[in-house]
Amino acid sequence: MTSAFFKNLSLFALTAAIGFSSCNQGASKSASTDSTATSKETVKIGVLHSLSGTMAISEVSLKDAVQMAVDEINAKGGVLGKQIEPVIVDPASDWDLFAEKAKELLIDKKVSAVFGCWTSVSRKSVLPVFEQNNGLLFYPVQYEGEECSNSVIYTGATPNQQLIPAAEYLMSEKGGGYKKFYLLGTDYVFPRTANKILKAYLLSKGIPKENIIEEYTPFHHQDYQTIISKIKRFAADGKACILSTINGDSNVPFYKEFANQGLSAATCPIMAFSVAEDELRSMDTEFLVGHLAAWNYFQSNDLPENKKFVDDFKAFCAKKGLPGGDKRVTDDPICWAYTGVYLWAKAAEKAGSFDVSKVRNALYSLEFNSPDGLVKMDARNHHLAKPVVIGEIKPDGQFDILWKSEGLVDPQPWSPLTSPDKDCDWVNHNGTYAKK
Amino acid sequence: MKNSLKFGWILLLLLVAMASRAQDSSSLYVAQLLHPQSDSVRTHAIGRLVALRIPATFPLLMAINDKKLYLLDNQAITIDGKPSDEEKYRLHRVYPDTRPLHNSSGDPLLLSLSQLKTVDIPRADRLLLLPIAPLFNLYSPDAQKRIQAYGQLTDLQDPQVQKILADVVSKETDYNALRIGKESLYAIQLHTAKNEATAKAYIDSIARNWSDNASALLTAYGSGKAFNTNTANYAIEKAKQLESKYDNLQRIQNLFSGLSLGSILILIALGLSIVYGLAGVINMAHGEFMMIGAYTTYCIQMLFSRGYGDWFFIISLPLSFIVAGLMGLILERLVIRHLYSKPLESLLATWGISLILVQTARLIFGDLTAVKTPQLLAGGWQAAPHLTLPYNRIFIIALTAVMVLLTYLMLFKTKLGLQIRAVTQNRQMSACLGVETRRIAAVTFFIGSGLAGLAGCAITLIGNVVPDMGQTYIVDSFLVVVTGGVGKLAGTIVSGLGIGFFTKISEAFFQAVYGKVFILLFIMLFMQYKPKGLFPDKGRIAEE
Amino acid sequence: MKTNNSSLYYILFIAIFAILLPAGHLSGFLSINTISIWGRYFCFAIAALGIDLIWGYTGILSMCQAFFFCLGSYGIAMHLVLQKTALPDFMVWNKITTLPFFWQPFNSFSLTVILCMLIPAALAFLIGFVLFKSRIKGVYMAIITQALTLAMWLIFLRNETNLGGTNGLTDFKTLLGFDLANTQVKLALYFISFTVLCLAYMACHRITRSKFGKVLQAIRDSESRVSYTAYHTVNFKLAVFVVAALLAAVGGMLYLPQTGIITPGRMDVKASVEMVMWVALGGRGNLKGAVIGALLVNFLYSVCTSWFPDSWLFILGFLFVITVLYFDKGLIGLVTTLRARIGNLYLKTAQTTN
Repeated sequence: MTSAFFKNLSLFALTAAIGFSSCNQGASKSASTDSTATSKETVKIGVLHSLSGTMAISEVSLKDAVQMAVDEINAKGGVLGKQIEPVIVDPASDWDLFAEKAKELLIDKKVSAVFGCWTSVSRKSVLPVFEQNNGLLFYPVQYEGEECSNSVIYTGATPNQQLIPAAEYLMSEKGGGYKKFYLLGTDYVFPRTANKILKAYLLSKGIPKENIIEEYTPFHHQDYQTIISKIKRFAADGKACILSTINGDSNVPFYKEFANQGLSAATCPIMAFSVAEDELRSMDTEFLVGHLAAWNYFQSNDLPENKKFVDDFKAFCAKKGLPGGDKRVTDDPICWAYTGVYLWAKAAEKAGSFDVSKVRNALYSLEFNSPDGLVKMDARNHHLAKPVVIGEIKPDGQFDILWKSEGLVDPQPWSPLTSPDKDCDWVNHNGTYAKK
Repeated sequence: MKNSLKFGWILLLLLVAMASRAQDSSSLYVAQLLHPQSDSVRTHAIGRLVALRIPATFPLLMAINDKKLYLLDNQAITIDGKPSDEEKYRLHRVYPDTRPLHNSSGDPLLLSLSQLKTVDIPRADRLLLLPIAPLFNLYSPDAQKRIQAYGQLTDLQDPQVQKILADVVSKETDYNALRIGKESLYAIQLHTAKNEATAKAYIDSIARNWSDNASALLTAYGSGKAFNTNTANYAIEKAKQLESKYDNLQRIQNLFSGLSLGSILILIALGLSIVYGLAGVINMAHGEFMMIGAYTTYCIQMLFSRGYGDWFFIISLPLSFIVAGLMGLILERLVIRHLYSKPLESLLATWGISLILVQTARLIFGDLTAVKTPQLLAGGWQAAPHLTLPYNRIFIIALTAVMVLLTYLMLFKTKLGLQIRAVTQNRQMSACLGVETRRIAAVTFFIGSGLAGLAGCAITLIGNVVPDMGQTYIVDSFLVVVTGGVGKLAGTIVSGLGIGFFTKISEAFFQAVYGKVFILLFIMLFMQYKPKGLFPDKGRIAEE
Repeated sequence: MKTNNSSLYYILFIAIFAILLPAGHLSGFLSINTISIWGRYFCFAIAALGIDLIWGYTGILSMCQAFFFCLGSYGIAMHLVLQKTALPDFMVWNKITTLPFFWQPFNSFSLTVILCMLIPAALAFLIGFVLFKSRIKGVYMAIITQALTLAMWLIFLRNETNLGGTNGLTDFKTLLGFDLANTQVKLALYFISFTVLCLAYMACHRITRSKFGKVLQAIRDSESRVSYTAYHTVNFKLAVFVVAALLAAVGGMLYLPQTGIITPGRMDVKASVEMVMWVALGGRGNLKGAVIGALLVNFLYSVCTSWFPDSWLFILGFLFVITVLYFDKGLIGLVTTLRARIGNLYLKTAQTTN
């Protein structure tokens, strides 16, 4: 018995170890044999988006967007004469696996850049890996700020590029002049930090403390009865609105319960920071019409670049036979995931190399004509300056653009409201530094 | 005498002229609004219409506010309610008068939205309407909206508002709306009351009527506007009474929420409990049958997308039962029948099945999908002022009650039920007595999975349809089964309701998460006294 | 003869993992990442040994091993965070100015190690005492422990508990002054994990062969009969539950520095069921099965998520179903049966030729 076991275990371990190494080496080998066979050199990039588990709902579309950008660039001849070869892995919404896969991509697959992550926790999980191995991560989702890593290119919004303009709009006469704010979110770091900043902002604008309520629900919360009754009472005398950072699948029960208890956008609008076109795609929008959302990009943006981008994306999804086909929509994170690939390609061309430090340096102040118009990388840190838009949900799941910032809004990774003494600068300082 | 008569005539003429001028100017503004030369002209026109507050323009303004203003042959029209089977709407003219549109043969005119020209009014302009939204909503055909509008009327001192209010209240037909409308009138009279007795009488009337802002109104009146301290104190005392009444109602609302949550848990746990009791199988894939039921509903809705109103949901109910049941039957034949009375092994195998089913759903349906709420179940029942009980939740409670009753009848009044109970108690003995245990097990599995499917169909009313929706509920429903005692119908009901109530009551004191933690600890302690659940087996079958 | 054979394979097993793999790395054939990944599998295998003791040998399905695993990880993580900064950065964001009292002891490494084992053991004792005393068993035990893990998961997700919420604890730099990014340190951690796995295996092996272990197996087969023969079964169950919790915690402690992050996700429903799956797949009631199951399932998980990003769930799902259906003794059982068959065949052919 014992002997049998150890014999088998040893054999298994041996084959496994060899299998593993061959899988690790295999990919790079296949790449090199590929290059000799087709005489076309490739450069590898990693795609680190969950394709299964709870985050798959949001992240699969980003993988599609990255793939589309890669196909487009390859069709135009690639970068520095090399074709881009995406290495797609599935971190399965498992935060430990994110770190493992990041190591695999950087150390074993030796990719030049990685495009991935959605949740803050997945980004935090891979951050040390990227810093230790001198990797470069393009992170396309709006986030809570308070971070200034040399290894991450944040193409999503910082708080001042999404939260503050939205609150400002709601308080303005044009936005409805709301006086009471219910900050409702899912309990994780983005809503917590977002609400901290929002609260500081609202207090600084003279909103009394008792007119701001903060509340959090766990992930996948389905039962909003109690909270809606609280909101109903809060909003009974009018002039109240909701700033929602509710994430993912909790949104449907929330909006449904909201409508069923007799509240509506006319009496108490919900300004959402985590609801975009892709989430609305097959939702029953009847309950959502008239509610608001703040982003940096909407599909309804009528720039010609965007029209082409939207059509191309639909065509791409239909051609690849992806679920949804030509009914697919674009949204903010999709736009930035797509833009990220182009920014990287442009920076590599500018630097004349795929070397991470050279690409990083080339990214400063880099401009790119994205579907959202001209956007520009910050001159001192790794964030992107872009416009802010506020939209109202239409019955077809698209947004009416109500307000758009004049020009680009510069990113502020450290909010001056909550961290007035800090700033992020990789040119003159070493990342986060204390302001005088 | 003659002079005064003459004066009266002149006054009347003047009034008529003013009114017609107002009418004229309003038609001018309406024209500007419908065909604006520029955005600023439209904004100005809306601003003027808001300032003028002419009832004749109210239907138009209401249509703007609801984002339902269209043009047809240059007439301003709106759509009536919900679309017909072919996504066509009945139409209604909104200006200069309101009347339904008919076609040449005299039938109501039905058109689809694409045949109409949408009048796009920017949100900024629509927001200008907010101050008078309560005023024109008083004319809404929807009683719910009128109720809200009465509650939101602010500038009650304005004679024009008072006149409109009196006019509307006199024509009010809805009981609730009438009550609230009356109260607004009382409020006006209260503020103009000049002696204590009258004031107190009106305070009483307001308190009796008790609308949304009654306590705010009385408090405001008591702390400043009252003409002597006596009435002020009286008003404040009444307001406090209302507040405490309100708190009581909140408790009822909480109980209702608990009942609703409990009935969802029961609906899910019912099938689980029966299957576990009979076959000794812990079905971790039970939540996935729920998911199958939900996706069945979704698919039927897609098939029925053109019209048929609520029929899709009515058809979904039995179909989701059957589809999930059949899937359960297939699963039972392929896998589960090898695992009878091996609860722990079945736990692992069904976990594997659940992984497969979730990923299959993800590959087929891809992402977040939601089912439209049927018209009948949209909104809520205003049980009392401040107490709205959503219809969808009432429906789920009723559905649960019916299913529990049917399950009871099936288990205790039919031959099949007798056999199921026999096999549950002692499989070998039943087999000896000629019960086809395999067939009974298959049938039970069909029913159990079907019940889960039905629960999934019901859950589309309150939540969304995602591939891993089953996993949200699975641990909770297992807790219900375990607390109630496995295979016990009564236990499932009592523990389901108990957990539902307890969760909601604790949620009122703690945040949602701690409520959940608290209930888990409570169940652990409870199991100290009842290690086999609320209704344990007695006698010799109790051991093993 | 048999013992000789056995020790030969012990040597072979050790040779592969202690010599061949590291040698592969040093010769540049295997990356340090591969080594670290195997190091992490060893940690899972240590926890799996505990699960096998409590489930395979005693018949108690405990679904809260993932929680104990996390407790071990969190303890070490807290120490590592404090090595880096006096006040963790997430506390700075949450406007907490002083270190909460329960973080204080984790400044010292020795105290951390003691607490990492003491806390899970004490909690296991408490939970076990409550559950076993009231004679909760079988499915009830599984569901209650699962619910408990769920409750703990919810609490760890909260930000108020000051354990980093959903994001957990991450971004560690040094352990006892050693740089965690250093290849040598990673290799050392791999060896430590391997050694601990071997030691844990030996310890568990002794336990199962001891009188204590025999009583456990008797409890699994018929608890009532054991108690009729004047054994106080609660004490035995309690003891093995604490041992299992300790093993899980030790696994978690070693897991953390090699992974670099711990989040509550490690103890959600999925994670806690999967831990049991390792043992089921390998073969329960067999310590080798636990080890092989943990190594194999995790290896498959790593490989399939890279090779078949779209369909790996099917592969794992079918594997679970088929294992339970056809190989109820797991892979080890399969191997034994196959060997017996081949042996029989060999015997038969030998007989016929004779």
